[in-house]
Amino acid sequence: MTDHQNPQKRAPVDAGADTTVALGKGLDIGTANLAAAVQNEDGGITVTVERNAFLDIPSDVYSKNMLTKLKVPYVVHNGKLVVIGEAAFELANVFSRETRRPMSDGLISPNEQDALPMIKLIINKILGEPRTPGENCHFCVPAPSLDVDNNVVYHQGLFESMINKMGYTAHAINEAHAVIFAELSECDFTGIGLSFGGGMANACIAYKSIPCLSFSVARGGDWIDKNVANVLGCPRSKATYIKERGIDIRDPKSREEEAVTIYYRSLISYVLQNIKARFESGQNMPTFQKPVDIACSGGTSLVGGFIEVFREEFAKIEFPIPVGRIFRSEEALTAVAKGCLVAAAIGES
Amino acid sequence: MGIVNEVKEALSAQSRTATLDELRSEGRRKVRLIRAEQVASMISEAVHAAAEQSGLISQAEVDKLVENSRREFKDILQQREREAQESKELKDQLQARDRELQQLRAQLQQQGGANAQANAAPGAQQAGPAGIDFAAALEKLTGSLNDRLEKLGKKMGVSAAVDAAELNFDGMFKDTGKTLESNMANIEIKKKEGGGIATNLAKLKKLKGGS
Repeated sequence: MTDHQNPQKRAPVDAGADTTVALGKGLDIGTANLAAAVQNEDGGITVTVERNAFLDIPSDVYSKNMLTKLKVPYVVHNGKLVVIGEAAFELANVFSRETRRPMSDGLISPNEQDALPMIKLIINKILGEPRTPGENCHFCVPAPSLDVDNNVVYHQGLFESMINKMGYTAHAINEAHAVIFAELSECDFTGIGLSFGGGMANACIAYKSIPCLSFSVARGGDWIDKNVANVLGCPRSKATYIKERGIDIRDPKSREEEAVTIYYRSLISYVLQNIKARFESGQNMPTFQKPVDIACSGGTSLVGGFIEVFREEFAKIEFPIPVGRIFRSEEALTAVAKGCLVAAAIGES
Repeated sequence: MGIVNEVKEALSAQSRTATLDELRSEGRRKVRLIRAEQVASMISEAVHAAAEQSGLISQAEVDKLVENSRREFKDILQQREREAQESKELKDQLQARDRELQQLRAQLQQQGGANAQANAAPGAQQAGPAGIDFAAALEKLTGSLNDRLEKLGKKMGVSAAVDAAELNFDGMFKDTGKTLESNMANIEIKKKEGGGIATNLAKLKKLKGGS
Protein backbone atom coordinates (compact mmCIF):
# COMPACT_ATOMS: atom_id res chain seq x y z
CA MET A 1 0.00 0.00 0.00
CA THR A 2 1.42 3.37 -0.96
CA ASP A 3 1.31 6.37 1.29
CA HIS A 4 -1.67 7.89 -0.46
CA GLN A 5 -3.75 4.77 -0.08
CA ASN A 6 -3.97 5.29 3.66
CA PRO A 7 -7.40 5.74 5.18
CA GLN A 8 -8.79 9.23 5.22
CA LYS A 9 -7.03 11.90 7.18
CA ARG A 10 -8.79 15.04 8.30
CA ALA A 11 -7.35 18.37 7.37
CA PRO A 12 -8.06 21.48 9.39
CA VAL A 13 -9.72 24.07 7.25
CA ASP A 14 -8.90 27.13 9.15
CA ALA A 15 -6.86 27.73 12.25
CA GLY A 16 -9.00 28.41 15.26
CA ALA A 17 -12.15 26.94 13.74
CA ASP A 18 -13.71 23.75 15.09
CA THR A 19 -14.83 22.59 11.71
CA THR A 20 -12.72 20.14 9.81
CA VAL A 21 -13.28 19.09 6.26
CA ALA A 22 -12.95 15.41 5.48
CA LEU A 23 -10.54 14.78 2.65
CA GLY A 24 -11.82 13.06 -0.40
CA LYS A 25 -13.66 14.03 -3.55
CA GLY A 26 -16.58 12.53 -5.39
CA LEU A 27 -16.73 12.40 -9.17
CA ASP A 28 -19.77 11.59 -11.27
CA ILE A 29 -18.61 10.53 -14.74
CA GLY A 30 -21.88 10.80 -16.60
CA THR A 31 -22.61 10.51 -20.30
CA ALA A 32 -24.19 13.96 -20.38
CA ASN A 33 -22.59 15.76 -17.44
CA LEU A 34 -19.47 15.51 -15.33
CA ALA A 35 -19.74 16.62 -11.70
CA ALA A 36 -17.15 16.81 -8.93
CA ALA A 37 -18.17 17.22 -5.29
CA VAL A 38 -16.08 18.39 -2.37
CA GLN A 39 -16.92 19.42 1.19
CA ASN A 40 -16.72 23.15 1.79
CA GLU A 41 -15.80 25.10 4.85
CA ASP A 42 -19.43 25.93 5.68
CA GLY A 43 -20.32 22.30 6.28
CA GLY A 44 -22.04 21.96 2.92
CA ILE A 45 -20.72 20.65 -0.35
CA THR A 46 -19.63 22.40 -3.52
CA VAL A 47 -20.30 20.65 -6.80
CA THR A 48 -18.64 21.70 -10.04
CA VAL A 49 -20.63 20.62 -13.05
CA GLU A 50 -19.67 20.66 -16.72
CA ARG A 51 -21.39 19.22 -19.74
CA ASN A 52 -19.54 16.21 -21.15
CA ALA A 53 -19.39 17.43 -24.74
CA PHE A 54 -17.17 19.32 -27.15
CA LEU A 55 -17.36 20.90 -30.58
CA ASP A 56 -14.58 21.67 -33.02
CA ILE A 57 -14.60 24.87 -35.05
CA PRO A 58 -12.03 26.31 -37.48
CA SER A 59 -9.09 27.79 -35.62
CA ASP A 60 -8.17 31.46 -36.13
CA VAL A 61 -6.92 34.27 -33.93
CA TYR A 62 -10.21 36.17 -34.06
CA SER A 63 -12.21 33.14 -32.82
CA LYS A 64 -9.75 32.51 -29.99
CA ASN A 65 -9.95 36.10 -28.78
CA MET A 66 -13.71 36.13 -29.06
CA LEU A 67 -14.08 32.88 -27.12
CA THR A 68 -11.82 34.15 -24.33
CA LYS A 69 -13.82 37.41 -24.15
CA LEU A 70 -17.04 35.40 -23.94
CA LYS A 71 -15.45 33.20 -21.22
CA VAL A 72 -15.89 30.12 -23.37
CA PRO A 73 -13.35 27.39 -22.63
CA TYR A 74 -11.42 26.08 -25.63
CA VAL A 75 -8.39 24.00 -26.42
CA VAL A 76 -6.37 23.77 -29.62
CA HIS A 77 -6.15 20.12 -30.62
CA ASN A 78 -4.80 18.74 -33.88
CA GLY A 79 -4.96 22.22 -35.44
CA LYS A 80 -8.61 22.70 -34.54
CA LEU A 81 -10.24 24.93 -31.99
CA VAL A 82 -12.23 22.72 -29.66
CA VAL A 83 -14.92 24.33 -27.53
CA ILE A 84 -15.58 22.38 -24.37
CA GLY A 85 -18.54 21.82 -22.08
CA GLU A 86 -21.81 23.75 -21.88
CA ALA A 87 -20.59 26.30 -24.44
CA ALA A 88 -20.13 23.51 -27.00
CA PHE A 89 -23.75 22.54 -26.50
CA GLU A 90 -24.95 26.12 -26.92
CA LEU A 91 -22.82 26.68 -30.04
CA ALA A 92 -24.04 23.43 -31.55
CA ASN A 93 -27.62 24.65 -31.16
CA VAL A 94 -26.80 28.00 -32.74
CA PHE A 95 -25.13 26.39 -35.77
CA SER A 96 -27.55 23.41 -35.95
CA ARG A 97 -24.72 20.96 -35.47
CA GLU A 98 -24.29 17.92 -33.25
CA THR A 99 -21.92 18.10 -30.32
CA ARG A 100 -19.19 15.48 -30.11
CA ARG A 101 -19.53 13.31 -27.05
CA PRO A 102 -16.69 11.51 -25.25
CA MET A 103 -19.16 8.98 -23.85
CA SER A 104 -22.13 7.08 -25.14
CA ASP A 105 -24.53 4.70 -23.36
CA GLY A 106 -22.85 5.35 -20.03
CA LEU A 107 -19.37 4.31 -21.14
CA ILE A 108 -16.37 5.87 -22.85
CA SER A 109 -17.21 6.07 -26.54
CA PRO A 110 -15.21 3.76 -28.81
CA ASN A 111 -16.28 5.83 -31.82
CA GLU A 112 -14.88 9.16 -30.66
CA GLN A 113 -11.14 9.27 -31.24
CA ASP A 114 -10.65 12.52 -29.33
CA ALA A 115 -12.70 11.28 -26.35
CA LEU A 116 -9.78 10.67 -23.99
CA PRO A 117 -7.90 13.98 -24.20
CA MET A 118 -11.15 15.98 -24.05
CA ILE A 119 -12.69 14.18 -21.10
CA LYS A 120 -9.35 14.30 -19.30
CA LEU A 121 -9.28 18.09 -19.71
CA ILE A 122 -12.81 18.49 -18.35
CA ILE A 123 -12.21 16.17 -15.40
CA ASN A 124 -8.94 17.95 -14.61
CA LYS A 125 -10.78 21.26 -14.61
CA ILE A 126 -13.69 20.24 -12.38
CA LEU A 127 -11.71 18.05 -9.99
CA GLY A 128 -8.78 20.41 -9.50
CA GLU A 129 -5.56 19.42 -7.79
CA PRO A 130 -5.61 16.94 -4.89
CA ARG A 131 -5.35 18.75 -1.53
CA THR A 132 -2.94 16.10 -0.33
CA PRO A 133 -0.97 13.60 -2.42
CA GLY A 134 -3.10 10.55 -3.12
CA GLU A 135 -6.35 12.09 -1.81
CA ASN A 136 -9.24 9.65 -2.19
CA CYS A 137 -11.42 10.19 -5.23
CA HIS A 138 -14.47 7.98 -5.60
CA PHE A 139 -15.84 7.96 -9.12
CA CYS A 140 -19.02 6.30 -10.30
CA VAL A 141 -19.24 3.46 -12.79
CA PRO A 142 -22.39 1.95 -14.26
CA ALA A 143 -23.46 -1.57 -13.46
CA PRO A 144 -23.45 -4.15 -16.27
CA SER A 145 -26.49 -3.72 -18.49
CA LEU A 146 -29.39 -6.10 -18.79
CA ASP A 147 -30.14 -5.13 -22.38
CA VAL A 148 -26.76 -4.60 -24.07
CA ASP A 149 -23.37 -6.26 -23.87
CA ASN A 150 -21.05 -3.56 -22.55
CA ASN A 151 -17.50 -3.48 -21.26
CA VAL A 152 -17.60 -1.88 -17.83
CA VAL A 153 -14.17 -3.32 -16.94
CA TYR A 154 -12.42 -1.26 -19.63
CA HIS A 155 -14.34 1.88 -18.70
CA GLN A 156 -13.57 1.51 -15.01
CA GLY A 157 -9.89 0.69 -15.56
CA LEU A 158 -9.47 3.63 -17.90
CA PHE A 159 -10.82 6.20 -15.44
CA GLU A 160 -8.99 4.61 -12.55
CA SER A 161 -5.73 5.13 -14.44
CA MET A 162 -6.71 8.66 -15.48
CA ILE A 163 -7.60 9.78 -11.94
CA ASN A 164 -4.56 8.10 -10.39
CA LYS A 165 -2.39 9.96 -12.91
CA MET A 166 -3.89 13.23 -11.67
CA GLY A 167 -2.45 12.49 -8.22
CA TYR A 168 -5.51 11.00 -6.57
CA THR A 169 -6.19 7.49 -5.33
CA ALA A 170 -9.12 6.40 -7.46
CA HIS A 171 -11.86 4.09 -6.25
CA ALA A 172 -14.84 3.02 -8.32
CA ILE A 173 -18.34 2.94 -6.85
CA ASN A 174 -21.54 1.80 -8.49
CA GLU A 175 -23.58 4.79 -9.68
CA ALA A 176 -26.90 3.83 -8.10
CA HIS A 177 -25.14 2.76 -4.88
CA ALA A 178 -23.82 6.34 -4.70
CA VAL A 179 -27.45 7.54 -4.88
CA ILE A 180 -28.22 5.40 -1.82
CA PHE A 181 -25.28 6.95 0.05
CA ALA A 182 -26.55 10.43 -0.83
CA GLU A 183 -30.30 10.02 -0.38
CA LEU A 184 -31.21 7.16 1.93
CA SER A 185 -29.43 8.01 5.18
CA GLU A 186 -32.81 8.33 6.93
CA CYS A 187 -33.54 4.67 6.20
CA ASP A 188 -30.11 3.45 7.29
CA PHE A 189 -29.11 3.25 3.63
CA THR A 190 -31.68 0.55 2.95
CA GLY A 191 -33.76 0.89 -0.20
CA ILE A 192 -33.57 1.36 -3.93
CA GLY A 193 -31.43 4.00 -5.60
CA LEU A 194 -32.10 4.90 -9.21
CA SER A 195 -29.97 7.12 -11.38
CA PHE A 196 -31.55 8.30 -14.62
CA GLY A 197 -28.55 9.53 -16.58
CA GLY A 198 -27.92 10.57 -20.14
CA GLY A 199 -26.80 7.19 -21.41
CA MET A 200 -28.23 4.73 -18.93
CA ALA A 201 -30.55 4.16 -16.05
CA ASN A 202 -28.82 2.48 -13.10
CA ALA A 203 -30.52 0.67 -10.25
CA CYS A 204 -29.20 -0.60 -6.94
CA ILE A 205 -30.95 -2.18 -3.98
CA ALA A 206 -29.08 -2.06 -0.72
CA TYR A 207 -29.57 -3.32 2.80
CA LYS A 208 -27.90 -1.18 5.46
CA SER A 209 -25.56 0.33 2.88
CA ILE A 210 -24.52 -3.06 1.45
CA PRO A 211 -25.49 -3.41 -2.22
CA CYS A 212 -27.48 -6.60 -2.80
CA LEU A 213 -28.23 -6.17 -6.45
CA SER A 214 -27.27 -3.64 -9.08
CA PHE A 215 -27.76 -3.43 -12.81
CA SER A 216 -28.42 -0.95 -15.57
CA VAL A 217 -30.41 -0.57 -18.74
CA ALA A 218 -28.88 1.23 -21.69
CA ARG A 219 -31.60 3.84 -22.05
CA GLY A 220 -31.52 7.34 -20.69
CA GLY A 221 -31.87 10.95 -21.74
CA ASP A 222 -29.93 10.36 -24.97
CA TRP A 223 -32.39 7.65 -25.96
CA ILE A 224 -35.23 10.17 -25.53
CA ASP A 225 -33.29 12.78 -27.54
CA LYS A 226 -32.53 10.33 -30.35
CA ASN A 227 -36.15 9.27 -30.71
CA VAL A 228 -37.54 12.78 -30.38
CA ALA A 229 -35.04 13.99 -33.02
CA ASN A 230 -36.10 11.14 -35.30
CA VAL A 231 -39.81 11.89 -35.10
CA LEU A 232 -39.37 15.68 -35.32
CA GLY A 233 -36.61 15.58 -37.93
CA CYS A 234 -34.23 17.83 -36.01
CA PRO A 235 -30.67 17.48 -34.60
CA ARG A 236 -30.35 15.69 -31.29
CA SER A 237 -29.00 18.78 -29.55
CA LYS A 238 -32.27 20.53 -30.49
CA ALA A 239 -34.22 17.67 -28.93
CA THR A 240 -32.06 18.00 -25.80
CA TYR A 241 -32.82 21.72 -25.73
CA ILE A 242 -36.59 21.09 -25.97
CA LYS A 243 -36.33 18.56 -23.16
CA GLU A 244 -34.31 20.85 -20.91
CA ARG A 245 -36.08 24.16 -21.46
CA GLY A 246 -38.45 23.54 -18.56
CA ILE A 247 -41.33 21.43 -19.81
CA ASP A 248 -43.76 19.45 -17.67
CA ILE A 249 -44.31 15.93 -18.98
CA ARG A 250 -47.75 15.78 -17.37
CA ASP A 251 -48.90 18.70 -19.49
CA PRO A 252 -47.23 18.92 -22.92
CA LYS A 253 -47.94 22.24 -24.66
CA SER A 254 -46.85 21.48 -28.24
CA ARG A 255 -46.20 18.68 -30.69
CA GLU A 256 -42.51 18.77 -29.72
CA GLU A 257 -43.30 18.51 -26.02
CA GLU A 258 -45.79 15.74 -26.76
CA ALA A 259 -42.98 13.73 -28.39
CA VAL A 260 -40.73 14.27 -25.37
CA THR A 261 -43.54 13.21 -23.04
CA ILE A 262 -44.23 10.00 -24.96
CA TYR A 263 -40.62 8.89 -24.84
CA TYR A 264 -40.20 9.92 -21.20
CA ARG A 265 -43.14 7.77 -20.18
CA SER A 266 -41.80 4.91 -22.28
CA LEU A 267 -38.36 5.20 -20.66
CA ILE A 268 -39.79 5.21 -17.12
CA SER A 269 -42.02 2.24 -17.90
CA TYR A 270 -39.11 0.34 -19.48
CA VAL A 271 -36.87 0.93 -16.47
CA LEU A 272 -39.59 -0.11 -14.02
CA GLN A 273 -40.46 -3.26 -15.97
CA ASN A 274 -36.81 -4.26 -16.02
CA ILE A 275 -36.36 -3.60 -12.31
CA LYS A 276 -39.47 -5.66 -11.61
CA ALA A 277 -38.31 -8.53 -13.81
CA ARG A 278 -34.84 -8.52 -12.27
CA PHE A 279 -36.19 -8.44 -8.72
CA GLU A 280 -38.66 -11.20 -9.53
CA SER A 281 -35.92 -13.46 -10.79
CA GLY A 282 -35.11 -13.58 -7.10
CA GLN A 283 -31.37 -14.22 -7.20
CA ASN A 284 -29.45 -12.71 -4.25
CA MET A 285 -32.51 -10.79 -3.12
CA PRO A 286 -32.89 -9.91 0.54
CA THR A 287 -36.26 -10.08 2.28
CA PHE A 288 -37.44 -6.74 3.56
CA GLN A 289 -39.67 -6.65 6.64
CA LYS A 290 -40.66 -3.02 6.09
CA PRO A 291 -41.46 -1.15 2.86
CA VAL A 292 -38.36 0.34 1.28
CA ASP A 293 -37.99 3.80 -0.25
CA ILE A 294 -37.11 4.50 -3.87
CA ALA A 295 -34.85 7.49 -4.51
CA CYS A 296 -34.65 8.78 -8.08
CA SER A 297 -31.87 11.03 -9.26
CA GLY A 298 -29.87 11.98 -12.34
CA GLY A 299 -30.18 14.75 -14.91
CA THR A 300 -32.92 12.94 -16.83
CA SER A 301 -35.14 13.02 -13.73
CA LEU A 302 -35.01 16.84 -13.62
CA VAL A 303 -37.86 17.34 -16.09
CA GLY A 304 -41.09 18.72 -14.64
CA GLY A 305 -43.59 16.05 -13.59
CA PHE A 306 -41.00 13.25 -13.63
CA ILE A 307 -41.72 11.83 -10.21
CA GLU A 308 -45.50 12.05 -10.69
CA VAL A 309 -45.28 10.12 -13.97
CA PHE A 310 -42.89 7.67 -12.29
CA ARG A 311 -45.48 7.05 -9.55
CA GLU A 312 -48.23 6.62 -12.17
CA GLU A 313 -46.19 4.05 -14.07
CA PHE A 314 -45.20 2.36 -10.81
CA ALA A 315 -48.86 2.00 -9.86
CA LYS A 316 -49.47 0.07 -13.10
CA ILE A 317 -47.15 -2.78 -12.19
CA GLU A 318 -47.22 -5.25 -9.35
CA PHE A 319 -43.88 -4.52 -7.77
CA PRO A 320 -42.45 -7.61 -6.09
CA ILE A 321 -41.31 -5.92 -2.88
CA PRO A 322 -43.14 -3.54 -0.56
CA VAL A 323 -42.32 0.08 -1.35
CA GLY A 324 -42.72 3.12 0.91
CA ARG A 325 -41.78 6.58 -0.34
CA ILE A 326 -40.95 7.29 -3.96
CA PHE A 327 -39.14 10.57 -4.26
CA ARG A 328 -36.75 12.54 -6.43
CA SER A 329 -33.57 13.83 -4.91
CA GLU A 330 -33.65 17.55 -4.14
CA GLU A 331 -30.33 17.86 -5.96
CA ALA A 332 -30.99 15.30 -8.67
CA LEU A 333 -28.18 16.40 -10.99
CA THR A 334 -25.52 16.22 -8.29
CA ALA A 335 -26.78 13.37 -6.09
CA VAL A 336 -24.39 10.81 -7.60
CA ALA A 337 -21.38 13.09 -7.07
CA LYS A 338 -22.55 13.71 -3.51
CA GLY A 339 -22.85 9.95 -2.88
CA CYS A 340 -19.36 9.43 -4.29
CA LEU A 341 -18.13 12.14 -1.92
CA VAL A 342 -19.77 10.38 1.06
CA ALA A 343 -17.99 7.16 0.07
CA ALA A 344 -14.69 9.01 -0.35
CA ALA A 345 -14.99 10.80 2.98
CA ILE A 346 -15.78 7.61 4.87
CA GLY A 347 -13.08 5.73 2.99
CA GLU A 348 -15.54 3.27 1.50
CA SER A 349 -14.00 1.04 -1.16
CA MET B 1 -60.37 -33.37 -11.59
CA GLY B 2 -57.44 -31.06 -12.33
CA ILE B 3 -56.54 -30.50 -8.69
CA VAL B 4 -56.55 -34.27 -8.02
CA ASN B 5 -54.00 -34.82 -10.77
CA GLU B 6 -51.89 -31.97 -9.42
CA VAL B 7 -51.97 -33.45 -5.92
CA LYS B 8 -51.03 -36.83 -7.39
CA GLU B 9 -48.11 -35.26 -9.20
CA ALA B 10 -47.06 -33.40 -6.06
CA LEU B 11 -47.27 -36.54 -3.95
CA SER B 12 -45.33 -38.41 -6.56
CA ALA B 13 -42.63 -35.69 -6.81
CA GLN B 14 -42.18 -35.28 -3.10
CA SER B 15 -42.51 -38.87 -1.88
CA ARG B 16 -40.29 -41.92 -2.17
CA THR B 17 -41.10 -45.41 -3.35
CA ALA B 18 -40.30 -48.29 -1.03
CA THR B 19 -40.94 -51.99 -1.50
CA LEU B 20 -42.79 -54.00 1.12
CA ASP B 21 -39.54 -55.77 1.97
CA GLU B 22 -37.82 -52.46 2.55
CA LEU B 23 -40.64 -51.29 4.82
CA ARG B 24 -40.45 -54.58 6.68
CA SER B 25 -36.73 -54.14 7.12
CA GLU B 26 -37.43 -50.71 8.63
CA GLY B 27 -39.58 -52.42 11.21
CA ARG B 28 -42.97 -51.46 9.77
CA ARG B 29 -45.71 -54.02 9.85
CA LYS B 30 -48.68 -51.88 8.76
CA VAL B 31 -49.05 -48.82 6.59
CA ARG B 32 -51.96 -46.38 6.37
CA LEU B 33 -53.26 -45.60 2.88
CA ILE B 34 -54.97 -42.45 1.65
CA ARG B 35 -56.18 -41.67 -1.86
CA ALA B 36 -54.92 -38.56 -3.66
CA GLU B 37 -58.57 -37.55 -4.26
CA GLN B 38 -59.14 -37.44 -0.50
CA VAL B 39 -56.03 -35.30 0.07
CA ALA B 40 -57.15 -32.91 -2.69
CA SER B 41 -60.62 -32.71 -1.26
CA MET B 42 -59.26 -31.96 2.23
CA ILE B 43 -57.02 -29.18 0.91
CA SER B 44 -59.83 -27.66 -1.12
CA GLU B 45 -62.26 -27.77 1.81
CA ALA B 46 -59.71 -26.29 4.19
CA VAL B 47 -58.88 -23.41 1.85
CA HIS B 48 -62.54 -22.58 1.18
CA ALA B 49 -63.53 -22.89 4.84
CA ALA B 50 -60.65 -20.63 5.96
CA ALA B 51 -61.47 -18.03 3.32
CA GLU B 52 -65.22 -18.05 4.05
CA GLN B 53 -64.82 -17.99 7.83
CA SER B 54 -62.45 -15.02 7.62
CA GLY B 55 -65.33 -12.95 6.18
CA LEU B 56 -62.71 -10.60 4.76
CA ILE B 57 -63.07 -11.45 1.13
CA SER B 58 -65.94 -12.02 -1.24
CA GLN B 59 -66.73 -15.33 -3.00
CA ALA B 60 -65.40 -13.92 -6.28
CA GLU B 61 -62.14 -13.02 -4.62
CA VAL B 62 -62.02 -16.42 -2.93
CA ASP B 63 -62.34 -18.06 -6.36
CA LYS B 64 -59.65 -15.77 -7.76
CA LEU B 65 -57.42 -16.59 -4.82
CA VAL B 66 -57.96 -20.30 -5.31
CA GLU B 67 -57.18 -19.95 -9.01
CA ASN B 68 -54.01 -17.98 -8.27
CA SER B 69 -52.96 -20.51 -5.64
CA ARG B 70 -53.49 -23.35 -8.10
CA ARG B 71 -51.43 -21.59 -10.73
CA GLU B 72 -48.64 -20.92 -8.27
CA PHE B 73 -48.84 -24.47 -6.97
CA LYS B 74 -48.50 -25.76 -10.52
CA ASP B 75 -45.46 -23.54 -11.17
CA ILE B 76 -43.75 -24.71 -8.00
CA LEU B 77 -44.61 -28.30 -8.83
CA GLN B 78 -43.11 -28.01 -12.31
CA GLN B 79 -40.00 -26.43 -10.86
CA ARG B 80 -39.62 -29.25 -8.31
CA GLU B 81 -40.09 -31.82 -11.07
CA ARG B 82 -37.39 -30.17 -13.17
CA GLU B 83 -35.05 -30.11 -10.18
CA ALA B 84 -35.81 -33.74 -9.41
CA GLN B 85 -35.08 -34.67 -13.03
CA GLU B 86 -31.79 -32.73 -13.01
CA SER B 87 -30.84 -34.32 -9.73
CA LYS B 88 -31.62 -37.78 -11.11
CA GLU B 89 -29.50 -37.12 -14.21
CA LEU B 90 -26.59 -35.94 -12.11
CA LYS B 91 -26.93 -38.96 -9.86
CA ASP B 92 -26.92 -41.30 -12.88
CA GLN B 93 -23.85 -39.59 -14.30
CA LEU B 94 -22.02 -39.84 -11.01
CA GLN B 95 -22.92 -43.52 -10.72
CA ALA B 96 -21.62 -44.11 -14.25
CA ARG B 97 -18.34 -42.36 -13.34
CA ASP B 98 -18.11 -44.44 -10.17
CA ARG B 99 -18.52 -47.62 -12.18
CA GLU B 100 -15.87 -46.43 -14.65
CA LEU B 101 -13.53 -45.62 -11.80
CA GLN B 102 -14.00 -49.05 -10.25
CA GLN B 103 -13.29 -50.76 -13.57
CA LEU B 104 -10.13 -48.74 -13.95
CA ARG B 105 -9.07 -49.56 -10.40
CA ALA B 106 -9.55 -53.26 -11.17
CA GLN B 107 -7.50 -52.83 -14.37
CA LEU B 108 -4.82 -51.04 -12.37
CA GLN B 109 -4.59 -53.93 -9.92
CA GLN B 110 -4.37 -56.45 -12.75
CA GLN B 111 -1.75 -54.35 -14.52
CA GLY B 112 0.20 -53.97 -11.26
CA GLY B 113 0.26 -57.75 -10.83
CA ALA B 114 1.33 -58.31 -14.43
CA ASN B 115 4.08 -55.68 -14.14
CA ALA B 116 5.35 -57.24 -10.95
CA GLN B 117 5.58 -60.62 -12.74
CA ALA B 118 7.25 -59.03 -15.75
CA ASN B 119 9.76 -57.13 -13.58
CA ALA B 120 10.58 -60.33 -11.75
CA ALA B 121 11.37 -61.99 -15.09
CA PRO B 122 14.89 -61.40 -16.54
CA GLY B 123 15.14 -58.69 -19.28
CA ALA B 124 11.88 -57.09 -18.28
CA GLN B 125 10.94 -54.01 -20.26
CA GLN B 126 9.28 -50.74 -19.19
CA ALA B 127 5.48 -50.39 -19.42
CA GLY B 128 4.28 -51.40 -22.84
CA PRO B 129 1.29 -50.27 -24.94
CA ALA B 130 -1.18 -51.49 -22.32
CA GLY B 131 0.40 -49.13 -19.74
CA ILE B 132 0.10 -46.17 -22.14
CA ASP B 133 -3.56 -46.99 -22.80
CA PHE B 134 -4.23 -47.10 -19.13
CA ALA B 135 -2.52 -43.73 -18.46
CA ALA B 136 -4.52 -42.12 -21.28
CA ALA B 137 -7.76 -43.56 -19.93
CA LEU B 138 -6.96 -42.31 -16.44
CA GLU B 139 -6.16 -38.84 -17.78
CA LYS B 140 -9.41 -38.82 -19.73
CA LEU B 141 -11.34 -39.82 -16.66
CA THR B 142 -9.66 -37.15 -14.54
CA GLY B 143 -10.45 -34.53 -17.18
CA SER B 144 -14.03 -35.67 -17.38
CA LEU B 145 -14.43 -35.56 -13.59
CA ASN B 146 -12.83 -32.10 -13.46
CA ASP B 147 -15.22 -30.83 -16.14
CA ARG B 148 -18.12 -32.30 -14.23
CA LEU B 149 -16.97 -30.68 -10.98
CA GLU B 150 -16.45 -27.33 -12.75
CA LYS B 151 -19.99 -27.49 -14.20
CA LEU B 152 -21.44 -28.36 -10.79
CA GLY B 153 -19.38 -25.59 -9.20
CA LYS B 154 -20.65 -23.03 -11.69
CA LYS B 155 -24.20 -24.15 -10.95
CA MET B 156 -23.54 -23.55 -7.26
CA GLY B 157 -21.88 -20.17 -7.93
CA VAL B 158 -18.34 -21.45 -7.34
CA SER B 159 -15.69 -21.49 -10.03
CA ALA B 160 -12.16 -22.78 -10.21
CA ALA B 161 -11.21 -19.72 -12.26
CA VAL B 162 -8.89 -17.26 -10.55
CA ASP B 163 -8.93 -13.51 -11.07
CA ALA B 164 -6.34 -12.19 -13.45
CA ALA B 165 -4.02 -9.40 -12.42
CA GLU B 166 -5.63 -5.96 -12.40
CA LEU B 167 -5.58 -4.31 -15.81
CA ASN B 168 -3.43 -1.24 -16.20
CA PHE B 169 -4.58 1.34 -18.69
CA ASP B 170 -1.82 3.91 -18.06
CA GLY B 171 -0.50 3.36 -21.58
CA MET B 172 -3.72 4.81 -23.01
CA PHE B 173 -2.73 8.28 -21.80
CA LYS B 174 0.69 8.52 -23.46
CA ASP B 175 -0.54 11.09 -25.96
CA THR B 176 -2.80 13.02 -23.62
CA GLY B 177 -0.09 14.35 -21.32
CA LYS B 178 1.26 16.98 -23.71
CA THR B 179 0.38 20.57 -22.94
CA LEU B 180 -2.28 21.88 -25.27
CA GLU B 181 -2.92 25.53 -25.99
CA SER B 182 -5.98 26.42 -23.98
CA ASN B 183 -7.70 29.20 -22.06
CA MET B 184 -9.22 26.80 -19.53
CA ALA B 185 -7.06 28.04 -16.67
CA ASN B 186 -8.77 31.44 -16.91
CA ILE B 187 -12.34 30.20 -17.23
CA GLU B 188 -14.51 29.62 -14.20
CA ILE B 189 -16.81 26.64 -14.35
CA LYS B 190 -20.24 26.91 -12.74
CA LYS B 191 -20.49 25.66 -9.19
CA LYS B 192 -23.48 24.59 -7.14
CA GLU B 193 -23.72 24.60 -3.39
CA GLY B 194 -25.46 21.65 -1.81
CA GLY B 195 -26.55 20.27 1.54
CA GLY B 196 -23.85 18.79 3.76
CA ILE B 197 -22.97 15.17 4.23
CA ALA B 198 -22.33 15.21 8.00
CA THR B 199 -25.54 13.27 8.76
CA ASN B 200 -24.75 10.68 6.10
CA LEU B 201 -21.23 10.21 7.44
CA ALA B 202 -22.40 9.95 11.06
CA LYS B 203 -25.02 7.31 10.15
CA LEU B 204 -22.57 5.34 8.06
CA LYS B 205 -20.02 5.35 10.87
CA LYS B 206 -22.70 4.17 13.28
CA LEU B 207 -23.66 1.35 10.90
CA LYS B 208 -20.05 0.33 10.63
CA GLY B 209 -19.83 0.20 14.40
CA GLY B 210 -17.80 3.36 14.89
CA SER B 211 -18.51 6.14 17.38
